[in-house]
Amino acid sequence: MNYRYIWKEIRHHRHRTLVNVLGIAVGIALFVSINAVSAAYQNAISLPFKNIGADIVVQRAEKRSLDAVQPPASMRGIRLPFSNQILSSQDMENLKTISGIDTMATSLLLWEFDQGGFKTIMGVDLTAPSLGPIKVKDWLAQGRFPEKTGEAVLEKHFAKFHQIKLGDTYRISGQSFTVVGLLEIKEGSQVASANIYLALADAQSLLVGSTRDINIAYLHMKDPAQIDKIKTEIAKILPGVTITSSDSFLELMGGMSQISGQFSLVVSLVALAGAIFLIIKTMIGNLVERSREIGILKAMGWTNSDVQKQLIGETFLQSIMGGFAGIVAGYLIAYLLGYLSIPIATPWELNLTPAFAKMAETSAKTIHLPVSFSAVLTAAALALSFFAGGLASYFMGRRMSKMKPADILRKL
Amino acid sequence: MNNADILMGTNLSKRFDNLEVVKDVSLTVKEGEFVSLVGKSGCGKTTLLSLLSGLEKPTKGKVILNNKDITGASEDELALFRRDHVGFIFQSFNLIPTLSAWENVALPLFPIKMTGEQRSRRAHDLLNQMEMGHRIEHLPGALSGGEKQRVAIARALINNPKIVFADEPTGNLDSVTGEAIMAILNELHKKKGMTMLMVTHAEELAASADRVIRMKDGEVIA
Repeated sequence: MNYRYIWKEIRHHRHRTLVNVLGIAVGIALFVSINAVSAAYQNAISLPFKNIGADIVVQRAEKRSLDAVQPPASMRGIRLPFSNQILSSQDMENLKTISGIDTMATSLLLWEFDQGGFKTIMGVDLTAPSLGPIKVKDWLAQGRFPEKTGEAVLEKHFAKFHQIKLGDTYRISGQSFTVVGLLEIKEGSQVASANIYLALADAQSLLVGSTRDINIAYLHMKDPAQIDKIKTEIAKILPGVTITSSDSFLELMGGMSQISGQFSLVVSLVALAGAIFLIIKTMIGNLVERSREIGILKAMGWTNSDVQKQLIGETFLQSIMGGFAGIVAGYLIAYLLGYLSIPIATPWELNLTPAFAKMAETSAKTIHLPVSFSAVLTAAALALSFFAGGLASYFMGRRMSKMKPADILRKL
Repeated sequence: MNNADILMGTNLSKRFDNLEVVKDVSLTVKEGEFVSLVGKSGCGKTTLLSLLSGLEKPTKGKVILNNKDITGASEDELALFRRDHVGFIFQSFNLIPTLSAWENVALPLFPIKMTGEQRSRRAHDLLNQMEMGHRIEHLPGALSGGEKQRVAIARALINNPKIVFADEPTGNLDSVTGEAIMAILNELHKKKGMTMLMVTHAEELAASADRVIRMKDGEVIA
């Protein structure tokens, strides 16, 4: 292989090189962008759970929501959400018997209805600092998170709407709380999105007749691959509870979410195969155009292997150029698509606000695709561009070896 | 002059479909000899040159070149044989348009393991001998016909061949340039003892050779 000759051929035949490089680049760009966006979608869907560090959320829905014959409870004052009835201490003891659960945290979610509307109140378990709605403390815009009873953190927009500032006293159902912090809810955080965050004991004291009640359990697995198995076990031990994981979001999503990992791989590989086919056709077309040159090389004493090495060198150089261009273009497309906001539908039991207040939480439900650079995807794309070059070289070699110098030179 | 046969073709025939282009031709070329193969266009002289140089395989007959029977050799064996023992000069020069003059000259050496500097030095020396020292870095597109043929002659000599096959070397040149090229070929033969087999349709060019073989309708007539 003569590098000088390779470089001169590539430089001299700019149009031909450009067509080949673009062919590879388009295929690789499709592969990279489809897979990067698909991975981003998967990340987006798992974001609500990732944000609270949980793999599984366990709740118990009000029986009336399942059995409409039962009359509705009063909607005034503090009440439990329909999807979040009390999980008994026995339920919690039963959960602890399941192996494979690494850590567990609990919370008490309440709704308060009054003449001014409604508010959502989250009682947070301060003893499990890395699991559950306590994770919202990472999003504090001002102040700190409650450290003891009598303190509250308010969601920033809620506080602004009600003209509440840091250090003010805020009353909930007759009890006073000092506002010690304001936080801003981040994208994809609907599982933990509330108006007010209190220590768990404070929330329990708001609920009449409650002492140590909780209504949401957050579980973190030792091995996330065991989620389905553990979900089945929970369903067996705690009949009637709702068990949700990031898969529950996927089930609700339509359109783009259908591009699961395997499907996107197939789509991108089909796109790449089409591109490779075009590249092979183009390069074999080039071979016919270059038959005179091949005839001269063979007449001058170049063996089939010598000519093939030269063509492989040219093809691989173009593949590298196309591969890099495709990777850059693919990520560029993916990052541009990342600016699009996508709606993430929330399973009703995880929706912390009443059904009639959907508008209030629109921002939390819409997120930007979290596109990120993947070394594995980049390496796979480069490997595929080499594979495309190798395949094109193979077919060119087969065609070229059938070319006889005398046949070619006779036609000149 | 050494009188050993360097090239021997025996009962050579070549058929393309139903057309027999070369018909039972036998000839020999001695080492250091300059032989002209002359005849009208289409008489089979270029095909005979291809058979004798190992570019083409005969339908019938045998070719012995530099004491080696090349008749049954594979394409790659023939390529290696050409690289080591044969030089070619074509009517249409057959230079690679993307390579400079010296790179075209060095082309047969590209697959051989040697340093770039060695290749370059040999190519430069030969181009200087062809009085092309001032055009070494030029692409073929920037050269005149005569200059292109000088580059092609240098390329034919780069591997120190036992024999040079020249197919109408002045066919694409005006008469003055053609004469200059013929002068170079004659000098190579006379001063360096180069064995040459030249195909031409021009009697006056053929006359400068040691021996003239005439062809008509695929057969040697004289």
